[in-house]
Amino acid sequence: MNVIASRFVQAVMVAVLIGTATFIMMRSLPGDAAWRIAAGRYGYDHIDAAAADAVRNELGLDGPALPALLQWLGDLMRLDFGNSLVTGQPVINEITHQLGASVSLACVAILLSLLMGPPLGILAGLKPNGWLDRGLLLVSTGLKAIPQFLMALVLIVVIAVQLRWLPAAGHGEAKHFILPSLTLALGLAAVNARIARDAMARIAEMPFWRFAHWKGLSTRQTLLRHGLRNVAVPLTTYLGLQFVTLVEGVIIVESIFGWPGIGHALVHAIFSRDVPMVQGTALVLGLGFVAVNTAIDLTVRRIDPRVAS
Amino acid sequence: MSLLQAEDITIMDGKTTLLKPLSLRLDPGVPLVILGETGSGKSLMAQAIMGTLPATLTAKGRVAIGKQILNAGAPDQFRGLWGRQIGVLPQEPWLSLDPLMRARNQVAETHTLVRGLHRQQADRQARDDLAALGLAGAENKYPHTLSGGMAQRVAIAAARAGGARIVIADEPTKGLDAPRRDDVAKLLMNEMGDSGGLLVITHDLALAQRLGSQMIVLRRGEVVEQGDTHQIFASPRATYTQEFLEADPERWSPKEPRSPTAPAVVTAHDLTVARANKTLFSGVSFSIAQGHVFGVTGPSGCGKSSLGDALLGLITPRAGQVLRRAGEAPHSFQKLYQDPVSAFPRKRSLGQTLDDTVAFSGCAHGKIDALLEQLDLDPALLKRRPDAVSGGELQRLSLLRVLLRTPSFICADEPTSRLDPITQKRVIALLTQTTQDDGVALMLISHDTALIRNTADTVLALDAQSHENATPDVPRQSVAIPTL
Amino acid sequence: MNHMNALDLRSTSWRITPIIGAALVFVVALFALLGSVIVPGDAFEQSLLKALSGPEPLAPLGYDHLGRSVYHRLVDALWLSPIIAVAAVITAAGAGLVLGTLAAAMGGWIERLLVIVADALLALPGLLLVLIVLAMVPGTALGFWAGLSLVLWVEFFRLTRATSREVIASPAVQASRLLGFGPVYLFRVHIWPEIAPMMLTAAAFGTATAIMAIAALGFVHVGMRAPTPELGLMMVELLPYWREAPLALLSPVIATFTLLLGLTLLAGSRIS
Repeated sequence: MNVIASRFVQAVMVAVLIGTATFIMMRSLPGDAAWRIAAGRYGYDHIDAAAADAVRNELGLDGPALPALLQWLGDLMRLDFGNSLVTGQPVINEITHQLGASVSLACVAILLSLLMGPPLGILAGLKPNGWLDRGLLLVSTGLKAIPQFLMALVLIVVIAVQLRWLPAAGHGEAKHFILPSLTLALGLAAVNARIARDAMARIAEMPFWRFAHWKGLSTRQTLLRHGLRNVAVPLTTYLGLQFVTLVEGVIIVESIFGWPGIGHALVHAIFSRDVPMVQGTALVLGLGFVAVNTAIDLTVRRIDPRVAS
Repeated sequence: MSLLQAEDITIMDGKTTLLKPLSLRLDPGVPLVILGETGSGKSLMAQAIMGTLPATLTAKGRVAIGKQILNAGAPDQFRGLWGRQIGVLPQEPWLSLDPLMRARNQVAETHTLVRGLHRQQADRQARDDLAALGLAGAENKYPHTLSGGMAQRVAIAAARAGGARIVIADEPTKGLDAPRRDDVAKLLMNEMGDSGGLLVITHDLALAQRLGSQMIVLRRGEVVEQGDTHQIFASPRATYTQEFLEADPERWSPKEPRSPTAPAVVTAHDLTVARANKTLFSGVSFSIAQGHVFGVTGPSGCGKSSLGDALLGLITPRAGQVLRRAGEAPHSFQKLYQDPVSAFPRKRSLGQTLDDTVAFSGCAHGKIDALLEQLDLDPALLKRRPDAVSGGELQRLSLLRVLLRTPSFICADEPTSRLDPITQKRVIALLTQTTQDDGVALMLISHDTALIRNTADTVLALDAQSHENATPDVPRQSVAIPTL
Repeated sequence: MNHMNALDLRSTSWRITPIIGAALVFVVALFALLGSVIVPGDAFEQSLLKALSGPEPLAPLGYDHLGRSVYHRLVDALWLSPIIAVAAVITAAGAGLVLGTLAAAMGGWIERLLVIVADALLALPGLLLVLIVLAMVPGTALGFWAGLSLVLWVEFFRLTRATSREVIASPAVQASRLLGFGPVYLFRVHIWPEIAPMMLTAAAFGTATAIMAIAALGFVHVGMRAPTPELGLMMVELLPYWREAPLALLSPVIATFTLLLGLTLLAGSRIS
């Protein structure tokens, strides 16, 4: 119960932070903000000074900041994000469209990284300082030093431009998934391979690992019955933290590969100062982090009885 | 026919000999105890027999188990014996169980994977095993909810489920209270029965005595004495064995009781202390006079340490009062810790830390040198960091540090529980002598009743169950100080 | 079984990797410092006739699509983001250290409030925060500094608070308090020696994160604006001309990778 409560506080704080930041952003918009918001609501053909005045009054754009901020946050809490200043469509509709594309990309990336990282990490951790461990350390350190945009650039240049194996951009077909998800997965795999490796090496030093052998179990049996489950605990915990990296990656990777997701939309919204869209997308990303981590907290409690008590 | 016979086991670390040739045999129904202090090589001997020595060490010698003859220098050969011939009771039973697996499954998996039983059969067998050890009802518990003793019993069931006849137990009483120690002895004897073998590695004299039969005394990798346990206890031949046996608090010469002549330094009045909303004890009253030793004993979790902290003003009692003698300086109440390493700044040399204390308390620097001599400490130790000094030396340095503050009250919380018996005897003697000479009121906390009984002027025994109205007990003829 | 052996090897490799890292960072820094001394030139001067042409003595790395010397643009770029990054890390480390120690020492509602704020910031992807701050603060460099400081202080805060809490609860601090030592001594002797090595690691990671963020946003056109020479911006500008001028694109790529690898190695093999 405590977990839920503290995550709820976190969610509310996230909403307030984003709301306040976007409010300041809106107030510092160049030109007449009321006019732009009214245009977003009613379309550029249907606005006049009266409509702009109505908006100005409603949002208190000219008045004192505090009541206006409270009004703004109140709208936010009612999940009323308003309309996009660019398309005029309700923000909530736009986001629901884009969310699916982002979530599917993120899921493929996570899955791919879990297939690559932890198995290698566990094998390396079983023989610390063996050739696999050293090789993995080298590769994962190198991968960690490559930012996602650079990884995307390398993959585009090598695979799309030089070898012409895959398209550099696009969306809709399975082959379009490969480059963006690989870009994300390589960075994630570098980290969760290290986590799995360190966890495995630590577990192999623990008395219960030794004791399982003393009971007569082979190393394989010990790994399957005691190793994997114990490695899963730190791995799952870190997955929650990796989610931030993933979201950052999604923002960059979607922009590079022209993936019609929420990260792409966010960058566009920032670029065109579309405040309601910024608020909506940022909020979804922030609350997504909280939701994923709540789920992870609960999962860890299920795997590890020590956490629950 | 013997179950296990080890001949001329030698262990080397490069060119240094850690264990000189040692032979032993285990016979059915006859326990064998290897007794020794830290660094005596007793655990290495057990590791050589099990084939678990670290790869950096080399072993020589032969081990015959049943009909098999193995080379101690080739530890890989031993693996097939684990669980099937040799069952190991680990040093830390709590940490030796998988924290994420229920007790029953940890036993059942040995039945399925080692003995090849069917799942359901193994499960039933595991329940029976645990029930036989008095663990009926605890089968589905996770290790962290088991007590230390229960974890030990689960571990022994799991270790032996593969059919091992020989049990090797390395320090099975580490960190246990006296009553629990007897349980362990009983458990091990039962497990051995008439046909099994039992090898126990320990520094615990009481355990060795209870197990009886055969004993080997080791010191610095060499056999000091070997033979019948009762005979050795009754009339040890080697001087080292004598010294070792005499270091047992049970055998310490009782202290001459003294009645208080000086005024009380600190007085506890109707004290009730709670931790995490659980009342540890209530209505405790006593006072401690200058130069006197006030002993506190009781099982773990009874609130001994909390009582000390309350007197030091580190925690606020739920009810009652702690009164200091009028005119006490603010920093005249000091504490000695169970683990002295954790009580010093980790990354500072001991000399620097002591200099800081001297500079701060304004006493003469010569005081350090005088105290070093008084506590029989080598000044060269001051150049080292706390983790590079032996436990006994560091505890004496802790005493030195608090003495720089010219304290009037010292609370020593299990100051010797991590030390070897001989070192323990020495540190306790220095501690009580110094405080008595300097007129410091000493509160000595220990789980070891014998130690407290033979050291303290007044004893307070706290009980884990009935913590109502505990009052100091008056050992022998000494008189408790009338409380206010 | 050979864990003793393993420990030895590990401790030696532990000493070597930070040195390699420091060497890599040093090489890049040397290039940034002395680059325009060795070959004088200008990062903005265009000569369209030379667009995308190869290296020559006055432009050792060739020319970009607008005929500007890639070498001199790279020198400028290797000044810009590291300086912003270091400024942000210093600000963040200072704030994190003060607030973290304060939270651990004071406890109560001060600690709770700071933790709630830090947790909320943790839920927001760093790039997102930087983007929002960039949209609010006039001046891109200033915006990056403010945004990155806001993102980075959380890590320093969490490290300092966790370590300080542990140290403050230790018997060593209790003993020092009983002996009468005050907060300044406790911080200097007990807390700081434990935090200092972690701060160094976190600072190296923070600098890498900041440089990555500036370059990433430059790469997707929402960071530094043209014609400012910036690593990410240079790469995205040169990407379309990869076939014609591979060296022009590879130069900022290699420089960025070297710098980031150096910082990562300097920080050690710690996770996160």
